[in-house]
Amino acid sequence: MTPLIDVTFLLIIFFMIISNFISEQSVEMIVPRLTESTARELESPRRVVVNVAPKPYNPGDRADEPLAWPSQAHWVEVDARRFDMSRLEEVTAVLDFAFKRAPRDGDGNSLLEVLLRADAALQYDQVAPVLTAIAGAGIDKVHMVSYLPGHGPNEQRTQP
Amino acid sequence: MNAASVPALPQATTHHRVRRAARTRPPLRMALNLTSMIDVIFLLLIFFVVTASFTLGEGIITAKLPQGTGTGQSSDPPSLPLNIIVSAAGQHAYRLELEGYAATPMDFRQLHDQLVAIQYDESRNRTTGTHKPDDPVVITPAGAVRWQHVVDVINAVVRARYTNFALTQAQ
Repeated sequence: MTPLIDVTFLLIIFFMIISNFISEQSVEMIVPRLTESTARELESPRRVVVNVAPKPYNPGDRADEPLAWPSQAHWVEVDARRFDMSRLEEVTAVLDFAFKRAPRDGDGNSLLEVLLRADAALQYDQVAPVLTAIAGAGIDKVHMVSYLPGHGPNEQRTQP
Repeated sequence: MNAASVPALPQATTHHRVRRAARTRPPLRMALNLTSMIDVIFLLLIFFVVTASFTLGEGIITAKLPQGTGTGQSSDPPSLPLNIIVSAAGQHAYRLELEGYAATPMDFRQLHDQLVAIQYDESRNRTTGTHKPDDPVVITPAGAVRWQHVVDVINAVVRARYTNFALTQAQ
């Protein structure tokens, strides 16, 4: 009986680790860190995340001073699909499709929430075309992702 | 060669016999079974690695996007939007400007204070200003402004409790 329990526990832990890795598969970047932040957690499960990925770097190198390096937008990632910065009309098409399929509330507004994750060091003229592409799909509300209070890189966690 | 010339071997005494008996017994040593302890320690290690979360918590701030095709219908004359202009100064500094107001905020805290000062909201005892919380606020960052500072401005506007703000791009 004992080896059976051992193996079962090991399998449980193995699958826990694997599922953790799957859910954390998001583009690595340093999002803006705000003083006296009003950022809140999003409850809605119906969300689509638009990542403006910078050219890859090791976030640990920049944790102290994220803005000291110039950052270059590399590609846009919408739900694990990558789009070149020069083909943002495809982003509009994908979001338009997702919005038409998403369920609506009583007033006919789509329940899908669009989150925009962009690197803090990007310049606005690299993010603005992505905003235009989102707006082009008829979406008028977008959620900017930033760190929750007390959660930034190299920050003492003041809140649990 | 006679027996007298050979020295006699020492006779084994009772004393010697006792000593030899003590030596042949295996030495008393404590043996700790390490295997099970290592098993448990590894399991604990894996457990804590799994439960620890290495990701940083991220939250959201909601902003509106300008829509060019909207055809608005309103009986009230539209109120003039409050313009916040952000321009870049050097590699990673910024300059803030509240259109129509002479004082330029030096940082986002001053921007927030100024936005509160020009707000009119009786329920919060803000009666010095003229802008209602749902009056339109337009944030116009220049192209070279870092995304960090754009979100900082949005945060200051949200914190000053304006509800109707949008993000545009400088022409």
